[in-house]
Amino acid sequence: MSATQQEPRFAQFKLVLLGESAVGKSSIVHRFVKDSFDDFRESTIGAAFLTQTIQLDENTTIKFEIWDTAGQERYKSLAPMYYRNANAAVVVYDITQEASLERAKSWIKELQRQANQDLVIALAGNKLDLESERKVAKEAAQAYATEEGLLFFEVSAKTGQGVKEIFQSIAEKLPLESQIKSKSQPKSVNLQRPSTNNQSSCCS
Amino acid sequence: MSIRRPSMAERRSSMTQEGSLRPPVVPHLAGLEKPLPETVPEACDVVIAGTGLTESILAAALAWQGSSVLHIDANDYYGDTTATLTIDQLKTWVERVNKGEIKGYQDAVLYIPRGNEFKSKDFGIDLTPKVLFCKSDLLSLLVTARVYKYLEFLPLSSFHFFENDNFEKMTSTKQDIFTNQTLSLATKRSLMKFIKFSLDWESHPDVWSPYKDASIETFLQEQFKLEKAQIFELIFSIGLCNNNETHTPEALARIKRYLISYDVYGNFPVMYSKYGGAGEISQGFCRSAAVAGATYKLNTKLVSFDPKTKIAQLSDNSCVKINEQIIISPSQAPTDSKFLSKQNYEIQRLTVIVKKDCTQWFHDNESAAVVVFPSGSLESNNKQAVQAIIMGEGSGITAKGTCVWYMSTIETGKRGRDDLEAALKAMEGSILRESSDLDTQDYFDNANGMLNSVKLGQSFKDFVPKEKIQYILKFYYIQFTSIPHAGVVNPNLYRKNSVHVEDDVDAPDRGVIYSSLPSSEISYDGIVTASKILYEKVVGSDDDFFDVDFEDDDDEGSIANNLESAIAEDDDDDEHIVEPGAAPVEFAEDMEL
Repeated sequence: MSATQQEPRFAQFKLVLLGESAVGKSSIVHRFVKDSFDDFRESTIGAAFLTQTIQLDENTTIKFEIWDTAGQERYKSLAPMYYRNANAAVVVYDITQEASLERAKSWIKELQRQANQDLVIALAGNKLDLESERKVAKEAAQAYATEEGLLFFEVSAKTGQGVKEIFQSIAEKLPLESQIKSKSQPKSVNLQRPSTNNQSSCCS
Repeated sequence: MSIRRPSMAERRSSMTQEGSLRPPVVPHLAGLEKPLPETVPEACDVVIAGTGLTESILAAALAWQGSSVLHIDANDYYGDTTATLTIDQLKTWVERVNKGEIKGYQDAVLYIPRGNEFKSKDFGIDLTPKVLFCKSDLLSLLVTARVYKYLEFLPLSSFHFFENDNFEKMTSTKQDIFTNQTLSLATKRSLMKFIKFSLDWESHPDVWSPYKDASIETFLQEQFKLEKAQIFELIFSIGLCNNNETHTPEALARIKRYLISYDVYGNFPVMYSKYGGAGEISQGFCRSAAVAGATYKLNTKLVSFDPKTKIAQLSDNSCVKINEQIIISPSQAPTDSKFLSKQNYEIQRLTVIVKKDCTQWFHDNESAAVVVFPSGSLESNNKQAVQAIIMGEGSGITAKGTCVWYMSTIETGKRGRDDLEAALKAMEGSILRESSDLDTQDYFDNANGMLNSVKLGQSFKDFVPKEKIQYILKFYYIQFTSIPHAGVVNPNLYRKNSVHVEDDVDAPDRGVIYSSLPSSEISYDGIVTASKILYEKVVGSDDDFFDVDFEDDDDEGSIANNLESAIAEDDDDDEHIVEPGAAPVEFAEDMEL
């Protein structure tokens, strides 16, 4: 929207958040979105989802549509819509709560069952600022992530440590080319843009 | 009834003070702002049972208005009576219907031939298939509530019309009318005159009021001198009426609905949501409600409600104190309930998945079509129309190389089933003929540059198919509803369910408000009206129904204000037939020659 390059590339991806409610999955996103977006408007969340863009290189902008569970996971009531066409997922656990890693693992199973095959999943251990209370060894979580082919990070939503890196790494791993390609031939109707001269018009 | 409470925006003044000139509506941000409660809340303003589309819109409207909502569903999936189901889920559904566990349905039959390999998850079959008119109250609401952002909508421009054993392409646009060589000049003129009139028919009572109680067929014959073929097209395809006896004003409203929807987003009158119709849209509104703070719990049923203590007992052994109202779908009525209103109207549905892509029926780059079988057009000599929605693989609801045919009729009993089978036979014959190699005589319809198959217009009386249609499944069921057929535009029809609080009857549903089961309408019309009336029963008025003002997103530009008129529309005048949208349409202007 701001500086325009000669041939800017732009791709949009859907990212879903999962994890127990106390692990701070939401504060990670809060940190990510707020830190790098000074004119943060919360109303956008209410309407649909959080969005945040990342500048991958001079020409390439990636926009994340970040879907929060909005509490629907509490009673195992997440709708299929939540997983549909998700490109990436951040599954969060709390390094000071051993059980939270087990919950995270079950979410990852659920993702592998429900979501796209090529979903990029990042496992994120939060509360790195509480190192003294650590219950989950970094090596154990790392080993699990490697085994499952996940990105792995330990972060602190409180200090911001490691947060940006999660999204940066996901952005780098996403299939940029194919997304740009598929977006260039949209067949669906944009309900916000009524038009009598629609491109789908057959009779011009 | 309660007094109107402060809206979400008013209640949350603390959130809106800083940094913003115009205080935006800021939601609860469930899960972002504060830790989530661990159990079902002990008290809430409203409990809603059933996540069908009407109830889901209601839940979202109430949540955004500021009510605390607990939304439950006895099923382990969203959507209830308007759900989109996988084949495995369908199997369970059929069993449960036949055990009497799902109220409002009967005689469900599911036939799955052996030998077909398929993945249940590749299919999403709608229990209540529908199409969305491009100018309608639901469309406006999807935009206002931003729920469209969770969904994808695809265009549908092919409306086929079956007559004299033929499939005809409709001549519904001015291009079609001008270029149709089978129409006489006089007919063209009459048709144009009528279309122009119908776009503004309400302002010309002098023309139609003498025919207020007469059939639309009589009206079109006498007032516009139209011929039967055009009359039937107007009544059945454009108007999607069930029969030619439909009363004039109602049919005119239905015809106008189509015409004003044309060219709003392009050269198509309707759209449908990808990956499943009403089931997807329900999920979207449930998500919207959750974002505004509603609590969701599937697999949970209402056991009983006590109107004196206002405590609802749920199937997970929890209790909820309800400050205001409890609204339940008739499909989720508790065992031994006594106040369910009579479901006097019958809808028969036959859904098949065929191993054919059926692209012959779709417009270029589209994956869906509507096929209408008017009264008397079928071998069964049908009295009522059979309406069919066809969805190919691009609709996201069916596997590659397959197609879903949703057929429905309001005909009752054995006749209804015979009509559906006759329609199925006609469609089979047509698709076999069109996809056969016998005849490859395609031509270009020069006028609008569309590739059209000449086979569409040929009788298939002489055609003997070499192959047989292969089915992945065949699925038949009867659904009941309290909503009269084709009466969806009249809000009065939804006002009937009243709350029973008689002291002398001991019943688990005393004091609950019932919503209604889906109507026979194949568009979404009537659903927003139904939600609004329920909303009014809880809040006292529908003045602030989805009165939210979200800030615009960074990249989407300004919101289409012109689409929002339909929601703001006043339906307080109960005697009046409410018409979604009323703005003039572009092509009305240049129609005169």
